[in-house]
Amino acid sequence: MKPTILVLLLWGILYSGFAQEQPEALKTTPLPSVEIKTLDGKTINTKELSNDGKPFIISLWATWCRPCIEELSAIADVYDDWVEETGVKLFAVSIDDAKTASRVVPFVNGRAWDYEILQDLNSDFKRALNVVDIPFLCILNGNGEIVWQHTSYAPGNEEEIIEIIRKLSK
Amino acid sequence: MKKTSLAFLIICFIFFFTGFKGFSQPSSEHGKISGDFGFSGMYYQPDSLINAAEVEEKVRGNAYLNLLYTNKQFTVGARYEFYLFPLVDFEQIAYKGQGITYFFADYKNDFIQVTAGTFYEQFGNGLTLRAYEDRNLGIDNSLLGTRIKITPYKGISIKGIWGIERKNFDFDYLTRKDFVRGGDLEISFTELFPAIAEKQFAAQIGASFVSKYENPTHPVLKLPANVATWATRFNFRYKGFRIESEYAHKINDPNNTNGYIYKNGEALFASASYSMKGLGTSLSFIRADNMDFRSQRDISSTTSLLSVNYLPAINRQYSFPLLGNYSYVSQPNGQIGIQAQINYLIPKKTKIGGKYGTNISLNYSRFHDIEKNIVPLADSLGSMRGTDGYQSNFFKFGPHLLYQDIGLEISRRFDSRWKLELAYNYISYDLNILQGHADTTLFHGHHIAADLLCKINTKHALRLEIQHLYSQQDMGSWLHAMIEYSISPNWFFSVSDSWNYGNNTAEQRIHYFNIAASYIIKTTRISLQYGKNREGILCSGGVCRTVPASYGVGLSVNTSF
Repeated sequence: MKPTILVLLLWGILYSGFAQEQPEALKTTPLPSVEIKTLDGKTINTKELSNDGKPFIISLWATWCRPCIEELSAIADVYDDWVEETGVKLFAVSIDDAKTASRVVPFVNGRAWDYEILQDLNSDFKRALNVVDIPFLCILNGNGEIVWQHTSYAPGNEEEIIEIIRKLSK
Repeated sequence: MKKTSLAFLIICFIFFFTGFKGFSQPSSEHGKISGDFGFSGMYYQPDSLINAAEVEEKVRGNAYLNLLYTNKQFTVGARYEFYLFPLVDFEQIAYKGQGITYFFADYKNDFIQVTAGTFYEQFGNGLTLRAYEDRNLGIDNSLLGTRIKITPYKGISIKGIWGIERKNFDFDYLTRKDFVRGGDLEISFTELFPAIAEKQFAAQIGASFVSKYENPTHPVLKLPANVATWATRFNFRYKGFRIESEYAHKINDPNNTNGYIYKNGEALFASASYSMKGLGTSLSFIRADNMDFRSQRDISSTTSLLSVNYLPAINRQYSFPLLGNYSYVSQPNGQIGIQAQINYLIPKKTKIGGKYGTNISLNYSRFHDIEKNIVPLADSLGSMRGTDGYQSNFFKFGPHLLYQDIGLEISRRFDSRWKLELAYNYISYDLNILQGHADTTLFHGHHIAADLLCKINTKHALRLEIQHLYSQQDMGSWLHAMIEYSISPNWFFSVSDSWNYGNNTAEQRIHYFNIAASYIIKTTRISLQYGKNREGILCSGGVCRTVPASYGVGLSVNTSF
């Protein structure tokens, strides 16, 4: 039984490895339309998210998710440079529920993050984006269409993110 | 049976690597199909030492596929779940079966949204209603029915719901004698009067009402067919200050979890915070008394099945593996507690803060049971059944300490290569009340953790984690170490060992080793893991379930498209 699983896994890895090498034009996907809240309790539709025609980032995170905090902290260290260079903006959508939602603002301020924070209290946006696990990050072009999505965080991922944004802002 | 599971594994793979590529072609005229797929399987080996029993079918797995189709204002969606031979921890909570567990059609415009089919919903903080899913815990209490949301004016929102709660894989909806209905109103002054927003004020108020119907059948007690809960809430912000609160009330609801008493239930959640850039402070309070609210009154408190509402455990939740077994479990029928936290950033480019600044976080939480003065007994057997139960002083902490956590965390990036995080926690935990252990001694544990990250270059990174738990209760002291090597953005490799060196029984001083590898490409993640997993509890949001010990090879595949 075990060898079969291993063979299947290897096949999977190889297959997706080939898939990666195929040249791929930037396919765009529209952003789902879901109601989420601003930190002032205002309800906004995710379709309204924009950055004055410039590319932007949406990151799904939570105060209890360590890799999410690691990713947002790593971006925070270079965020000023990114904004200056490309005019990019990051929307950090917290999926904290009632348990931790009231601590999102003190948490973000306590780390001096400059992101625009939004709240998805019952994971409606997460579900509409078909997100399995967080951290989940997507890059959108100036028209608000998703051009790139990624799950999980490994140190150094931010290099790939800024490369894509550089291409988009040309 | 082996053939069945293997065939299923193969089908999953074929489906995943061939079929899906075709689905994800977006087209604006014809709408958009999106979805996600998850498979998690394990090959189980018995290990008598860690109490991993021989399982009936060695290869087991959970799998599901979600599909959504959106075309302008219409959305339809469905989920198929295949849990016929689920992972043993899901088998244990009877999350076993297969079928289309989620399906809906939805239309929305700026004024109205209507949903028919299955849906998830939350009113306020969830004290009266929360239909949600937590796939890792095997929780899904979605409602099958209809929902309507109306926004008559910007800043005013009204919701109404009517439905039957999902009960794992029981699809006997036609014979069910219970359902839930309710409504919610929220007014946002910030949106109604934009002028106040300019002065940095923000305010909302809201109210909800939820009622459960269940056919009353009981040989002795006269039970209410309808049980109602209502709640009011507000939140207010001025500059860096925020306060919010919600109070909920439930009329008499004799049920299995409260011993069939007729007392009303109530809950209060309140939170205040002040923050400015570089500093965040918060203080929260929760009290819950007889607020366990289920669609069916005979459900036991040992499961989270058919919960209509949600009583958040407001303590800080840790991801440290050694503390996993000592996570607070929310007590809807009696808890009172506070949680306080301070986050501070020692500024960047200062002598103490260093080039990147240093994060400090202090945390304190304490939870007790509530005072219960038993009313004179009506029952000759000495139980509270059929009476008003007890009386309780609202703000008084009960005699039993359930959970306490004192924590300090410091994290600092030294340069572009090195980052260090240190944490200390002192945890007190009542294993008897929170986990039903026979042992009534309070658990005390000192936990220290160090996490060192070294970014070798822009793609390669090495992480070293060392954790130590010192305790003389329960399983005693533990040492945990992990090394993880990552290659951005595709690969993770890790080796870890948790050693229960301080166990009172010499044979139980076991090494729980694990090796794992993951491959990630965009939104697909494939992980392979081999090792021993200890018996314990798995928690999320104060809702927990026990997990049996296991030993074997695990494979998981997740993707979204």
